[in-house]
Amino acid sequence: MIGHWVVLVQIAFRNLFSSFINLVIGVIIAVGTMLVVVGGAMLDSLDTAMSRSITGSLAGHIQVYSAASKDELAIYGGMTDDPSLAAVDDFPKVKRLLLGVPHVKTVVPMGINGALLMSGNTVDLTLAKLRGAVKARDAATASGAPAADLAEQVDSQKAHIRQIVKVLVEDAAKASVLADSHAVDDEAKQALATVSTEPFWEGFDRDPYSALELLENKIAPLVSDADMLYVRYVGTDLDAYQRAFDRMQVVDGQPVPAGRRGFLFPKFQYEEQLKLKTARRLDRIKEGLTESGKTIAGDSELQRFVRENQAQTREIVLQLDGLKTRTALARLNAALHSNETDLPTLLTRLFTTDDQNFMDRYRIFYEQLAPLLELYRVRIGDMLTVKAFTRSGYVQSVNVKVYGTFEFKGLEKSPLSGVTGLMDLMSFRDLYGYLSADKRDELRVLQAASGAKAVARENAEAELFGGGGPVVAEAKEGSIDEKAQLSGLKKAKKSEDLVARIYTPGEIEDGVVLNAAVVLDDPKALPQAIKAISELSAKEHLGLKVESWQQASGLLGEFVLAAKGILYFAVTIIFVVAVVVINNAMMMATLQRTQTLGTMRAIGAQRSFIVSMVLLETLVLGLLFGSAGAAAGAAVMAKLHATGIGAWSDAVYFFFSGPRIYPSLGAGNVVAAFLIILVVSVVSTLYPALIAMRVSPVTAMQAEE
Amino acid sequence: MRSTFLLTALVAGPLFLAAPAEAALSPDELKKLIETIDERQRSTGDYKALCYIEQKEKDKNDIVRELVVYRRDADQKLMFLFTKPKSEEGKGYLRIDKNLWSYDPNVGKWERATERERIGGTNSRRSDFDESRLAIEYDASYEGEEKLGAFTVHRLVLSAKAGIDVAYPVVKLWVDTSTGNILKRQELALSGRLMRTAYYPKWNKLFSDSKKSDIWFPAEIRIYDEVEKSNSTLVLMKSVDLHSLEANLFTKAWLEAKSR
Repeated sequence: MIGHWVVLVQIAFRNLFSSFINLVIGVIIAVGTMLVVVGGAMLDSLDTAMSRSITGSLAGHIQVYSAASKDELAIYGGMTDDPSLAAVDDFPKVKRLLLGVPHVKTVVPMGINGALLMSGNTVDLTLAKLRGAVKARDAATASGAPAADLAEQVDSQKAHIRQIVKVLVEDAAKASVLADSHAVDDEAKQALATVSTEPFWEGFDRDPYSALELLENKIAPLVSDADMLYVRYVGTDLDAYQRAFDRMQVVDGQPVPAGRRGFLFPKFQYEEQLKLKTARRLDRIKEGLTESGKTIAGDSELQRFVRENQAQTREIVLQLDGLKTRTALARLNAALHSNETDLPTLLTRLFTTDDQNFMDRYRIFYEQLAPLLELYRVRIGDMLTVKAFTRSGYVQSVNVKVYGTFEFKGLEKSPLSGVTGLMDLMSFRDLYGYLSADKRDELRVLQAASGAKAVARENAEAELFGGGGPVVAEAKEGSIDEKAQLSGLKKAKKSEDLVARIYTPGEIEDGVVLNAAVVLDDPKALPQAIKAISELSAKEHLGLKVESWQQASGLLGEFVLAAKGILYFAVTIIFVVAVVVINNAMMMATLQRTQTLGTMRAIGAQRSFIVSMVLLETLVLGLLFGSAGAAAGAAVMAKLHATGIGAWSDAVYFFFSGPRIYPSLGAGNVVAAFLIILVVSVVSTLYPALIAMRVSPVTAMQAEE
Repeated sequence: MRSTFLLTALVAGPLFLAAPAEAALSPDELKKLIETIDERQRSTGDYKALCYIEQKEKDKNDIVRELVVYRRDADQKLMFLFTKPKSEEGKGYLRIDKNLWSYDPNVGKWERATERERIGGTNSRRSDFDESRLAIEYDASYEGEEKLGAFTVHRLVLSAKAGIDVAYPVVKLWVDTSTGNILKRQELALSGRLMRTAYYPKWNKLFSDSKKSDIWFPAEIRIYDEVEKSNSTLVLMKSVDLHSLEANLFTKAWLEAKSR
């Protein structure tokens, strides 16, 4: 029997280079193996990179949340609104028990919510600052504290408002010239005339609040409203989070100090939505020119940015007070070698850019003009007012300090992950508005006292008007004392006290938590850990739903799955093509050898011998050329690992989890490639082997010489 | 001849009964009706009302609030001060000219709101608590007379006048023919989509010394959301006080002081 196989192996090696077709097949196998080695290694590297981006940024390896939740968890957001989740019962207990599960390294409490950023137009914001400065000055004066600095602040804000009024008066005059009757009505013109006079400003400090109300109600509405900004955020124990998630990195500012309330903006959103639009457009043009190889002359989008910057100078003009306006004129005239006295005209000239002058104008903007401007609607260190509809239906607002911006390594340019901010858990709970038992009781008492009776929509008309009784009644005048209505218990929470307060880990963890990220010490232990946590939840009646990061990641998780699906599909196509090509080549090789095979059959070779011979020949081919292909693939991977591959678009940036990927080759990739290529070779040879087996000696002898 | 008359009376009689003659209002009568609705609710002096709002939503906790509404119709000034529950105390709205401001003492900030602002997160609007300005804000047309339960009502359609900012551009009214009170009101978006249906089953009147006549106010408004069909809102005017208000009441400083 062994002799039989020795003969077959000898034949296989002897025939290796006997036919040109064998060489062709060998090359196909070699190229195929190389592709499988490189493709498999790339696929693994991409998968590892994407998975690490997600598990290391927000999701952790496993997410747990209440099984009583109405919706599925979607950490990075789903197709619709953020899901409605029930609170996890007793998070400290859940955390304690989960930390006892093998491979569980950390458990981080979380909650996801969305809110609107309170904001007004530039005039509203400046007037709010002026009102705040006046109040602070008056309070200091009343308490006998030094108020000189505060008085200076009031004067500075007043000067800014006067400059804004001047700009609006000029606008109104232009509108009159253009006969634009809708631009400013007579009442507004009269108000503008009033606030433009010296007596108005001389008398401002005698009755600042009346003056402010006139400015707020008559002047500020002349400027269009600012965009509302929606912010999605994850409320979490920021200290535990920053320790557990290594992909998060602070870009501007600093991390939120341990135990403090605070907010970190996602860098992507901070740049895209909070930056002065003109500055952002300049950045986009620069990116287009330097990173994407575009030109202003040849790209319609860059041309649009230039046009918008030329036309939309008002936001900049309104930001500058009188002194800054004069400084801006002087600086820009010097840089542009002009002698212009009208700032909007000068700004339009600055923003009239082409491929030749752009970089120079960009530099002038950032060096000369930007220091005079508020480049962002919210600055690092500002107190941010966040307003959310709570789960109990009430609108709740909190002030939270912005400590900085952050990004997730590898997801910097992903709009899905780049719009989720990070907030401390205490502020999150205030905005989430969980209805405690006390609050619920208070509402019940109010409802009972009202005597209100529910009337169903379907019966409303019959129930309310069916009887035909009198609709009108005489009322007795009441005496309403709002002081008696107000409980007097509640005083406005001082936001500065809350900002300064340091919360203990116990306070942070003991409260509403909607979901928790479980980080493992070994990602490969994911299936066992999910099983163990599910069993623990059932045993301890924790009522938890346990999901892998991919399930819990919502759209982003689905995107990764789809991306992997596409990559696997591409590899499958390559194999199908290889099977067809090898199959055809083997068919040709077999048909060429009909006479030889017939002769062998005639001198006593069994059919099984013929089949074994053909298959073994392919196996030897596969081993030899496969090795060569694997070696070539390994060499390619070594080169790619050393040099890396740069991302050429934002989508590729996501796949690469960064600007450059350095793929690596594992032993598993080589072994898998070998196995796959051998199986493919054998499968492709089965049909030709069957043909060879059926060759009869008579047919072979009848064939022409 | 007599039998023919009887036959005619038998056949045609029910038809006449089924379709009573449409007592179409003339344009002058229509204008007068709308002006009367406004005039009845107008207060020449100051006005203060203690209100209760309750909103029911499917699968959610009820929203319950109490607030004091302050009006000085002569200056078109309006202010709300929320008094209950405790978490809402001190919050409020202030309307000056065309500006509607909302205030939250928790953050000490004022924010601009629009006519479409959902008062305190409920389906009530500023106009549900303010004086009636139908004649100023809308052009009315008459649609006919019909039955609403046991009441005979005029059905009117009102369209917002150009350049006037209102919460809803089209409003349908069902007005009691005998007392001239609005019993039902439907509000539509510009697209024609029905947004809210409100019923006014109880009207109260109170004699005002400054007006030298009664001031009318809806003691109960039941609002049914036509977009989120399971949501409904109840507004009760529990008490009205016509004493003069402080001169500086309609200011930001006054509302801020309430929570200090």
